[in-house]
Amino acid sequence: MIPSRLWALAALVALAVVPWVLARHQLSLLTDLLIAGLFAMSLDLIMGYTGMVSFGHAAYFGLGAYASALVLLHFAQPVPVALLAGALLAGAVAVPVGWFSTRATGIYFAMLTLAFAQFLYTVAYKWRDLTGGSDGIAGVPKTALFWGGPSLTSPHAFYFVVATCVVVSLFVCLAVVRSPFGRALQAIRENERRFTSLGRDPRPFKLVVFVIAAAFAGLAGALFAPFRGFASPEVMFWVFSGQGLMMVIMGGIGTLVGPILGAMLFILIQEVLSSYTEHWMIFTGVVFVLIVIFLPGGLVGTARRLGARA
Amino acid sequence: MTPLLETRELGRAFGALQAVAGVNLAVQPMELRAVIGPNGAGKTTLFHLISGLLAPTSGRVIFRGDDVTALAAPARCRRGISRTFQITSIFPELSVLENVRVAVQLKAGDNFRLLGGRSVLEASEQRARDSLRLLGLIDRADELASTLPHGDQRLLEIAMAVAQEPELLLLDEPTQGLSPEDTVATVGVIRQVARERKLTIILVEHDMDVVFDLADRISVLHFGQLIAEGTAAEVRANADVQKAYLGGLD
Repeated sequence: MIPSRLWALAALVALAVVPWVLARHQLSLLTDLLIAGLFAMSLDLIMGYTGMVSFGHAAYFGLGAYASALVLLHFAQPVPVALLAGALLAGAVAVPVGWFSTRATGIYFAMLTLAFAQFLYTVAYKWRDLTGGSDGIAGVPKTALFWGGPSLTSPHAFYFVVATCVVVSLFVCLAVVRSPFGRALQAIRENERRFTSLGRDPRPFKLVVFVIAAAFAGLAGALFAPFRGFASPEVMFWVFSGQGLMMVIMGGIGTLVGPILGAMLFILIQEVLSSYTEHWMIFTGVVFVLIVIFLPGGLVGTARRLGARA
Repeated sequence: MTPLLETRELGRAFGALQAVAGVNLAVQPMELRAVIGPNGAGKTTLFHLISGLLAPTSGRVIFRGDDVTALAAPARCRRGISRTFQITSIFPELSVLENVRVAVQLKAGDNFRLLGGRSVLEASEQRARDSLRLLGLIDRADELASTLPHGDQRLLEIAMAVAQEPELLLLDEPTQGLSPEDTVATVGVIRQVARERKLTIILVEHDMDVVFDLADRISVLHFGQLIAEGTAAEVRANADVQKAYLGGLD
């Protein structure tokens, strides 16, 4: 079995080298894949590690996108300021939502997160003065990395900003799930009543991880807005939340890396097939079903199982 | 000597059903007390009331001289009351070691270390290994809890509670579902744990034979009420107890 450190090194090298061999539109697609990967990875924190299936995670991606778009468009701040704003807004909104939603568990938690997300979607849709309504906010600039720096208009420059964010986020999340806090989350996932009788109320743990997950989703959204040049209500719609769940399951729930790969697979299928047919979702559905039935644990879960056997 | 745990007129009603009524218990430090009674006598409800998973509808729970009636289950655990469940309650997809380690960590604190925290992990792992050694599960530390046979899962749950170094350990039918041989082994382990860790134990049992040679004192519940209390010999000779067990109410 190849040690995971070697895999990590290979992935880092690939991320650094690949942009120099890819065509412009391919690099743009890879950037898209990474942003979706960050979104799916953040969902895995609550879904895979804590057992909280949120059906409203897109809302935090959207909040990050809007915050980032507004900061870049109206205040012309450097990109990192916009990223921070996106993560902070998403995390801040997740505090009250999480406070209410974590009172429920299972399907009721899922429905509460969905309800709040659709509420936030409606706000984005209706608050024309701030969000541009259904048109969204267009013309979001890729500003500089720091005050007075050159703008990040070259695809390579922005790709490296995104890749760095995704890699750093992955390592932070890996550290979180291995920390005492992360271990407690996994115990909550396994048996909440046992957790309670062992001396702690699970709710504060759930609230904190919900906010962290939202902040990382917000970061993904904050990268999305300048990269695509717009923020619109669609990215907050429940369909995107549902796709997030599919990405996590396809890639491997509870692995962090898996959901990144799952998101990449998902978007790749969409990209490749949508140029041939508008019914690309049928194909995605088939792949999803095949993975769930034949590759339990998703791509990464299956690979680990095979690796452990070898 | 002041009792470690006292219940005063403790009661719990579910609608019209009085599951536990007016129970007065006094358990001394380092005592091994068994609570027995036929099915539906209110034993598990009494445990939930003592551990805080259920709030009583009447009466009080006094632990180490403090009234803990208003405290929820997590707070009572942190004060020194650890428990197991009648239906095995573990973290199935975590390793045996991690099951016990988390139990230690949750009680000890420092749970919101989001990054690093290696020292927290190592300290709790040490205590978890001690507990697994005591319960004879150390060789299975790295296995998934869900892959253990039923009897070992029952022991694992006890290991989790013991690792928390409680003052009062509540065991809810620890021999439930065990073969006669496993039952004997488990009773032996409980006796050893009580001695080595100097624990006060309250043990709920369905089966009278299990407790007669294990318990210092036995309390008998019947329809939610305490009908007898005393040593094994006293309880065995008690006419009310004989009627409760032999009267076709089981």
